Amino acid sequence: MENLDSVLLAFAAALAVGVPAIATGWAQSRIGSAGAGALAEKPELTGTIIILLAIPETMVILGFVVAVMILVL
Amino acid sequence: MIIKMAKIEIVGPKDLLLDTLELLRGKGVFHPEADARGFVRPEDEAWVKELLLDQSAIGEKQFFVALQEQIRQLLACLPDLPSRTSYLPPLPIIDVLNELVDKHLLACRNWQQQCHALREEADRLTGHLRFWRVLEPLVADVVEHARLAFFGVTIRNADDIPKLRDLLEQQTEGRCRLSTTSIDDGSIVGLITADLNMEERLRKLLFAEKVPELDLPKELAALPFRDKPTAVQKLLDRVAAELQEARAERETFAHHWLPIYRQTLAWLDERLSLYQASALAYETRQCFLINGWMPSEGVEELRQVLANVFAGRVVLSVLELHQEDYDRVPVLLRNPLYFKPFELFARLLPLPKYSSYDPTPFLGLFFPLLFGMILGDIGYGLLLGVLAGLVIRFCPQRETLVDAARILGVSAAYAVLFGLFYGELFGNLGEQLFHLQPIWQERSRAVVPMITFAISVGTAHILLGLLLGIHYDFKRHLRREAFVKLINLLLICLCGIWLVGFLFPFPWQLTWPLLLAVLLLLPVLIIAGGLLAPLELLKSFGNIISYVRIMAIGLCSVLLAQVANQLGGMTGDLVAGFLVAGVLHFFNLILGVFAPTVHALRLHYVEFFSKFLEFGGRRYQPLEKNHQTTVTHSK
Repeated sequence: MENLDSVLLAFAAALAVGVPAIATGWAQSRIGSAGAGALAEKPELTGTIIILLAIPETMVILGFVVAVMILVL
Repeated sequence: MIIKMAKIEIVGPKDLLLDTLELLRGKGVFHPEADARGFVRPEDEAWVKELLLDQSAIGEKQFFVALQEQIRQLLACLPDLPSRTSYLPPLPIIDVLNELVDKHLLACRNWQQQCHALREEADRLTGHLRFWRVLEPLVADVVEHARLAFFGVTIRNADDIPKLRDLLEQQTEGRCRLSTTSIDDGSIVGLITADLNMEERLRKLLFAEKVPELDLPKELAALPFRDKPTAVQKLLDRVAAELQEARAERETFAHHWLPIYRQTLAWLDERLSLYQASALAYETRQCFLINGWMPSEGVEELRQVLANVFAGRVVLSVLELHQEDYDRVPVLLRNPLYFKPFELFARLLPLPKYSSYDPTPFLGLFFPLLFGMILGDIGYGLLLGVLAGLVIRFCPQRETLVDAARILGVSAAYAVLFGLFYGELFGNLGEQLFHLQPIWQERSRAVVPMITFAISVGTAHILLGLLLGIHYDFKRHLRREAFVKLINLLLICLCGIWLVGFLFPFPWQLTWPLLLAVLLLLPVLIIAGGLLAPLELLKSFGNIISYVRIMAIGLCSVLLAQVANQLGGMTGDLVAGFLVAGVLHFFNLILGVFAPTVHALRLHYVEFFSKFLEFGGRRYQPLEKNHQTTVTHSK
């Protein structure tokens, strides 16, 4: 029973970091392609595009924190 | 730092307007303001109107525009040769030049046409010569006779030769001969020899079959076939000599006149841009008024210069800066030597408003710190430091690259410092080889302490951002916004204290007082900031948690370095192990430059700056030499 708990905790932690990682990847793929198009026409938008591209990463960072909390606390 | 600006009004007699503008442009410190709002007192508005040039000034301007156009056309006809500096001042000779420029333009156009015609003739003759040179061996086989006709033709495709030969055979009943050979560009030329009385018939056939016949100059048509190449060569030599003569004549003219015309054109450009700038001015019955902005530090100097040059007839006044002016004061950023390279990152953002903050010093202080926290490796830090030094040493002329190298150098120093704290030298290689021990924590085994550390850094950074935001709102008399930020700041502090109490239990119990304080502050926050204010608080918490990336990316970096060391050790061979570990460390180093850079920037741009920076400032663009001014009046 204890082993099953450990397996479930590990699975939950994996889900907590895995699902946001997929979501981040998907969001960045969309932003990246749109950003590349925008940069081709307006190179002065570099800063804005970097910011937009980095914004979805918060999801996976939050997922990572949740995963650590599941495993450690 | 954002340089302090002064609101300036310059007044003088109308006849000194252009001279004043010329002086201001020479100084290059005055940013003109086309919009007179806030410069002219309401009671004076009836007297002040946009400045319109008088008849004589308009006439002069039209004269200069016409002359400028003619000189431009003349220079376009002349070769672009390097020229000496002319010491003739343009203004005294401008009338003479105006009379001469028509004649010179006509002469230059004639030379241009002559050169063009001669070049075309030379090209045509070169084509003929190449053709006849190729035909020479064919001509040698043909017996020249008075009753024979010769046609030189070009054949586009080798497959057309049998067809043409058959047609010629049919037309002449076998009394003709076609010899062919190919030339350098791959096309085929042919020589048709036939009976003289078939000449007309064959010419019609060639025309019908679209086989181009060689067209020779009339004077060469009567020459015997063998003499034609020599005659074409002579003709070509004569044309080349004429072309050279025409060019030499044009160059001699250019050497004499280019310096004068170029200097006059530059003078005209400057003069006409003064007329353009004069559209920024306003006038009363007697005076002109120019409004604008300039750095406060230069006001006294400019005042003195104006007083000296115009004997006190042109006066500079500093007007009071009102609250409503802040949004249109142009922004000039100037930073000390250490912070200057970080303008590279600040330039990626829009310009801050005049009343806001320059992001550069904040980037200069915190970017290397965050970079060092993330990378945190002595070995990588030293390598990046050496790389930065090499770039600065060997590419000093590439300004952007040198700035980037300087940033990298400072960031590398912080990476070494945090490497000492974490006890990392190429991952765990320092521990394995030199028994290097961390001063503070070993990142790969201290996940929770590192998360706590990252969140603490984030809390401090966000609280600083909120404090700056409160200061900015107070400065702009936005008291309600400042109060909401203050409540946010207090709530974050309370939650922080609660978290610290949770992680490191205090000897006394704080939970209930903290909870009570939060419950009291929340309604105040909603009343002051509206229903959405708690969302802003949640956003701030999200921003703080976002700093966990400092730990997360750092952990990835150290684990990759450890994997590189392990794989290198598993090879069992010194050279192979060194190569494997070297390649992996190299990739980790590249990631170790890009990932911390992007994430440290993001933490600034998104999390930190959003708390206090207001973008949308106007760029400071002073009147300068060779600077075109765009004018939009609104009063």
